[in-house]
Parts: sequence; C-alpha cells; structure tokens
Amino acid sequence: MTAVLLIEDDDRIRLSLSMALEDEGYTSYTAATAEEGLAEQRRRPADTVLVDLMLPGMDGFECIRQLRRDTEVPIIVISARDDTHDIVAALEAGADDYVIKPVAVKELAARLRALRRRSKVAAAAATAPAATVFTFGDLQVSPDAGEVRLNGTPVPVTRTEFRLLCELAAHPGLVLSRQQLLQRVWGYEFGDERVVDVHVGRLRHKIELDNAKPRHLVTVRGLGYKLQP
Amino acid sequence: MKPIGLRARVSAAFAVGALLLSACVSLVSYELIRNTLFAERERTAVRAAYFDATVVNAGVTGPVPDVSEALSALDTGADRFVLLHLGGEWYSRTAEPAAGTAIPAGLQEMLGRGEAGAQRIQRDTVPALVVGIPLSGSAAFYEIVSLQELDRTLQLLALVLTAVAIMVAAGGAAVGWYVTRYALRPLTVVAGAAREVAAGDLGTRLDPDTEPDLAGLSHAFNHMADQLARRLEKDRRFAADVSHELRSPLQTLEAAVSVVHRRKDGLDERSAAAVTLIAAEVTRFQSLVEDLLELARSDQPVHREQIDVTELARAVCRSRGLPEDLVTRVPGTPEIWRVDRRRIEQTLANLIDNAIRYGGGPIAIRLGTAGEGRCFLEVDDEGPGVAEEHRPMIFDRFVRGPAANARGGGDGTGLGLSIVAGHAAAHDGSATVLDRPGGGARFRVELTA
Repeated sequence: MTAVLLIEDDDRIRLSLSMALEDEGYTSYTAATAEEGLAEQRRRPADTVLVDLMLPGMDGFECIRQLRRDTEVPIIVISARDDTHDIVAALEAGADDYVIKPVAVKELAARLRALRRRSKVAAAAATAPAATVFTFGDLQVSPDAGEVRLNGTPVPVTRTEFRLLCELAAHPGLVLSRQQLLQRVWGYEFGDERVVDVHVGRLRHKIELDNAKPRHLVTVRGLGYKLQP
Repeated sequence: MKPIGLRARVSAAFAVGALLLSACVSLVSYELIRNTLFAERERTAVRAAYFDATVVNAGVTGPVPDVSEALSALDTGADRFVLLHLGGEWYSRTAEPAAGTAIPAGLQEMLGRGEAGAQRIQRDTVPALVVGIPLSGSAAFYEIVSLQELDRTLQLLALVLTAVAIMVAAGGAAVGWYVTRYALRPLTVVAGAAREVAAGDLGTRLDPDTEPDLAGLSHAFNHMADQLARRLEKDRRFAADVSHELRSPLQTLEAAVSVVHRRKDGLDERSAAAVTLIAAEVTRFQSLVEDLLELARSDQPVHREQIDVTELARAVCRSRGLPEDLVTRVPGTPEIWRVDRRRIEQTLANLIDNAIRYGGGPIAIRLGTAGEGRCFLEVDDEGPGVAEEHRPMIFDRFVRGPAANARGGGDGTGLGLSIVAGHAAAHDGSATVLDRPGGGARFRVELTA
C-alpha cells in the first residue's frame, strides 16, 4: 500500500482529500502544520508528500527545504496560489511538481502514480550493477548505479533531477524539448514547462561551475535543453 | 482642427521676431545708405556743374558768343546732359526742341532770382538730378545728371537686404526648431518613462534632479507611478486572496463529491441523481471560478518569451485526447514566436474546447503569418458555424452559442471566447470568427509575435 502524507492546514480539505485519496487506494497520513508534517515523515515515512504552501508557523517553502534536506521523497505542492513566483519558489525549494487547487482527485492520483513510477525506476536503477556510464567531460552520469559524479566526487541529486539528467545523458548533444522532458521524466502528457526549467536550474547549481554560463546543461533558445561535454 | 504644436509655435515666434528685427535693420540701413549715396552724388554733380558752368559762362560772355561751341567744349560723358537758357532760348548739344520742358518751373524761377539750385526729377521714367546755376546776365545753365546707375545700385541693395531679412527669419525659425528640441528633450524622457510604465515596467521613475525646471513634473509623474503600482499591487493581492478563498472550499467540494460519487451505486435513485448533479455543477463552478480569475487579471502585463507554438498546440491536443496531426504550420511560418505562454496556451485550449463543445470537435488547427510581423492561429470545426448576426457579440462575456441554450445551459462558462479576445488584445491582436470554406466555423486569432 502506498502511503501519502498530506500537510494541509484547512481541516475540511485535509479530511475530504484524505478520504478521496484512500478511495484511490492510498494510505493517507495527515498533518495540519509543517512542523507536525516533518515529525510525521520522520516517524512514519510516506512514499509521497503533498504539501500546502500557506501554513501557520513554518510555511510550505521551508517545509519542502527541510524535507529535501534529509530525503529524496517525491514532493507535490498543492496550493491555492497560482502566482508564478510561488510556483517557481516552491519548485526551487525542492518540490518535484505542483498542482493548483482545486485539483480533481483523478488528476492528483494520476500525478501520484507518475511520480511513483519514476521513483521505482530510479530505485531499481540504484540497485542494478553499474554498467553504462555517460561521460560529459568532468561530468559522469551512471543511470544504473544511480550516481552523478563531478570530477569524481558524487553529487547529491533528487530522484527527479537524476531522471532528468539520465534522459538528457541518454541523448548526448541532442536537444530535448520541455514537453518531451515532461513526458519522459514526469510522465505527463501535458504540463507546465516551468517545472522543467526550475529542475534544470537546480541541476545546474549542482553540476555547473557557473550557472549563468552552463557548459554541460545548455539551453537551446525556444527549443529545449541538451547535455554536452 | 489639429492644434499647432509647441515646437511649431516657438519656431514661428522665433521667425517673426527675427523677421521684424532684420526688417528694421534693413530699412534703417537702406535709408542711411540711400541718403549717403544721394548726397555724395549730388555733391559731385554740383561740383561738376559749377565747373561746366564756368566754362560755358566764359564761352557765352565773350565778344562773339558761340553757344554751341561752348557747350560742345564740355566733357560731359553719357550720363550728363547740359542745357543753356539764354535769351529765352534753350540750347543743348543735341537739337532737342522740348529740352527745356524737363526743367521744373520752380527751379527756373530760382535761377531767375539769381540763385543756384538742385532738384531731383523723373525724366522719361529715369530718375535724374537737375543742377541749375545762373550765369551772367539772364542766362542759366542747367545740367541734368542721370541717377539711373545709383537707382540700380539702390534696387540691388534693397533686393539684397530683403533676401537677408528673409534668410534671417528662416534662420530664426531653424534656431527655434533646434532650441525647442533641446528644450523639449526632458519631456522626451518623460514620454519614454510613461511608455515604459504603460508597457508594464512599474518601477520606472524620473530623477527630479536632472532637470530642475521640470522637477514638479517629475515629482508628479513619480507620484502617479507610485499610485499606479500601489493600485495594481492591491488589485493583484485582492485577486490572489479571492482566488485562495474561492479555491479552498472548491477543493473540499471536489474531493468530498468524488467520495460520494464513487458510492452512488449504494444510494437510492434520487440521491444518486442529486450527487451526479452536484458533481457536474462543482466541475462547472470550478471552470467558472478559473475563468473569472483569468478575466480579473487580464490587464496584467504580457510576459513574452520564445515559444514553440506548434509544439504547444500539439500538447494542448494531446491533453484533450485529440490527434497531434490536427496541428499544421503554414510553410514559411517561424517555429518560435515571442508570446505569453500561459495566455497562448489558454487561447488554444479555449478555442479547441469551444470547437469540441459547439462544433463537433476541431478538424484543423493552423498556424501562420499574417504579414507585418503578425501571426495567426486558426481553429476550424465542422459544426453549424456562427450566424452573421451573432458574430459581433460572440466574444462578449457570458454569451453562449444557440447550441448551448438548446442543451439547457450547456457546460461552458460563457467566458472562454471573451478570454480569447482578451489574450489576443494583450498581444496587440484580435479574435474573429469566419465561415470555414466547406461549412463550419473558423476561429482566427491574429497577434504580434
């Protein structure tokens, strides 16, 4: 049974959503504050975390950062705010995806499944023997070992970031559009391309010396991204 | 009538001022030069006449007066004409009977009294000077000096001075035009700042210290920009609050309805029907809230970026389970457009949804260029089309097609097309509906990309 942790301060939303998620076959843990949610996740780790942005006390952004600090658990933001700044800030804090309230339960379940699929692939890759290694100059991506190395030093990346990097590494020098990446990495038929942009930005922080002048993960204006030595 | 511009007025004032000044200077100098030249000419003529008179006097007062001999002995040149009045007879070097008539009576009288005199006359339309000198006895010697040369010189001078006056006036206008450009330059800065604010850069402010004379204007402009930014921020925050307050209960409704709806088989018939109604209305209410929020922020600045619109259109089709090959790009159309992603995505989605709802689904989605840096999006359907009389209001808010009314209200919000029109306008474009050749409607959005 897949467990979902729902961090949401609105009692009614928390109750109704957890019921709806249980109907979809998930076990739901709930928390009304970020602090409570973090404690809950330590005590009884869920497979996916749903977090609201506007929370009393510690806000959702900080909650995501703290979750990200110790785990690679997939995080979906579920917020009533559709301000671009909030969305980008939440993704930059480490969220894997976001949905705007009101989200249809079917839609939310589909996203949870897509995220789970990705996590399983990444987890399976992590246990497989190291076979293929993509090398881009000082950057090494080993999809099978689930490892990224820069100058031989392992780089800590989240599962989504890792999947994104593997997808680009599997097509060296080839431009992948944001929609292609959304389909292949996030498993969405259709989604917000800012999710891709923010993840690329986060990856650059980890694998590039100068974010403003990326050497490996370059933007091809209007088309998408590619990985090069 | 269009009012005359400030620059034109200032330039005209400069021109008139310069013209008045230069005309005065010209007139005064013309008069001075004219008087000086005439006085000079007169002096010379009088001196020459006296000399000639002495010669003639000697010739006619001798024992045997020989008038013609005395006259012909004079060296007069072409522009001097001598006359002698002797004993009631006029003598000249040429036999000219009416020669004496050129001499004014007043001058003849003066000489009759034994006084010398000079007078300006008009002789055969040529200006001339008559110098009369009484000789011994009753004889009088006249010399007529042509002033034609002098007159020509003065005409030329007048012409030159007029030309100078006109040129100075033109120069004044040019200086006015040039000076006002500099004087108005600070206003150009203000205009530029206003344009930036209008384009959405609300942080634009003027530095009141750069142009002390316009400090008041700069302060007023900055105050206006501050107020505008505050208003917009307030509106934005209100819209965000409204959106939050509306969306949160909708989330509860959505989740709760899905829980009940899942169990509707266990409900009695009436309750099941009611739950189905609630579920449908919750969905419609959600769309309505989203569309209203969209309209509320439609005046926010357009955030243009480089977008592959073809790919975007294909993605919208995918998300609705439509085949991607509905989307075609007219050959020669650029792949990348500079547009606001969210707005164009929504435009495409609304047009496609509209075609699904009222036109039996889209049969073609076309992207192309419309000249002058404009691009178009077209969505064709094979539905009943839109009657001519409905076209003007179809982009108004809460207007639904007749098909929707026939179905009892339909499931659309009635806002989709007005949002499309708003997005088109935000891209300096327009939305129209046409007949598709072969039947059906063709929705066309033109925009600058």
